[in-house]
Amino acid sequence: MSNRRMDKAETEAIRAVLAGDRDAYRVLMDRHFCAVARVAFRITGNQDDAEEAAQEAFLRAYNKLPNFRQDSKFSTWIMRIVMNTAINLVERRNRDLSYHAPRVAEETSAADHTVRVADRQAGPESILLNREASSMRRAAMAELTPMERTAFTLRHMEDVPMTEIAAALNVTTNSAKQAVFRAVSKLRRSLTPVAGGLR
Amino acid sequence: MRHFTEEELIAYQLQESSEGAAIGRHLEDCSECADISESIAETLRVFSADPTPPPDLEINWQRLRGNLSVLTPESRGSWRWAWPAVGLATAALILLTFFGVHAHHGNDPKHNMAVNGHGPITTEPANPAIANHLDAAERLLTEVNNSSGPLDDATREQAHTLLLKNAVYVHDARESGDLASAAVLENFGRVLTTLDNEPPTSHGTWRLRLEMNTSGLLLDIRVLRQNDDLSQGVSQ
Repeated sequence: MSNRRMDKAETEAIRAVLAGDRDAYRVLMDRHFCAVARVAFRITGNQDDAEEAAQEAFLRAYNKLPNFRQDSKFSTWIMRIVMNTAINLVERRNRDLSYHAPRVAEETSAADHTVRVADRQAGPESILLNREASSMRRAAMAELTPMERTAFTLRHMEDVPMTEIAAALNVTTNSAKQAVFRAVSKLRRSLTPVAGGLR
Repeated sequence: MRHFTEEELIAYQLQESSEGAAIGRHLEDCSECADISESIAETLRVFSADPTPPPDLEINWQRLRGNLSVLTPESRGSWRWAWPAVGLATAALILLTFFGVHAHHGNDPKHNMAVNGHGPITTEPANPAIANHLDAAERLLTEVNNSSGPLDDATREQAHTLLLKNAVYVHDARESGDLASAAVLENFGRVLTTLDNEPPTSHGTWRLRLEMNTSGLLLDIRVLRQNDDLSQGVSQ
């Protein structure tokens, strides 16, 4: 029953890791690291922290692998770990006001610690529009609490189920839902100047 | 006609509503709610997923691999029977500590504390300035443990200064026969040397933390400091 939930290659990889072959862990990393780093990026908002959180999550998962019962998917498990790790990292960063990791912005700037994600298909016009939109979105997202931002981005952008978000945030499913709803409501209000007022 | 709240319409747009069918029917007749619902849908479109920078799998794997210990079936199963042994050992340690502390207060002005397996240490304050050194060491290691990006110039400069002083304290500890303190300070020296020589990379402190076990070292330094404080108190 449990093996039906797990991909055979992943089950084999875990068995090999537990038998002492640490290189077998690469199979799990190849399959899930990008998704894990993407979720971490949604929570932390910058690439350095996202990769740090993703690596820490994979390291924690590796060390806890002997206790992983395989009655859930590895992907679900690692996602839960990375959400926790990334949220903790954000809270740590918030406490350390002197820390400024590079953030994604419309322009790379050493002074502002920002980097730009390459968009090979964008033309000059769309770049201009994107800059304005990106700037507006960033400002609106910054107004959300860490919990609202995490719950919203994971639910809306990564399609993570509410139950998983709730488990990672250590709150009830209803509280996680409320956080998402509050986030959408705040973001909708942030569009007021653009849309010409709420309807 | 009952209008739906914003929250109910958000749930509907996120497909989290239990009354989706009723809301759908209502929206066909109610332009007011339909407008709000469309505004919510527009918000969700505007805040849809931006592209994220793709991580370099190879680099991340190499970094991770260096920190993976080899798991063995023996080590996995060993804890089940080891717990009673751990319990007994802890009880024995508590008893030893209790009697040790009382014996110490009775007649011996010196006191011993084990530091991460290095054995008992002599806590005579050979050099009063070591308290400041340990204090600075603790602050630096805390900084290293709490940051993942490159350290700022001031911290690196502090590491350089501490490195120069640390050699003196290692020498003093050895001279006074305090080998456990010398061992801890030598480990601290290795961290300082790495900090002093390595170029500031974005993952420098993260790697340092894992490879050189700076958390364990921080604990050692704190124990040393505590011992030093105690011995200062005894001598006063």
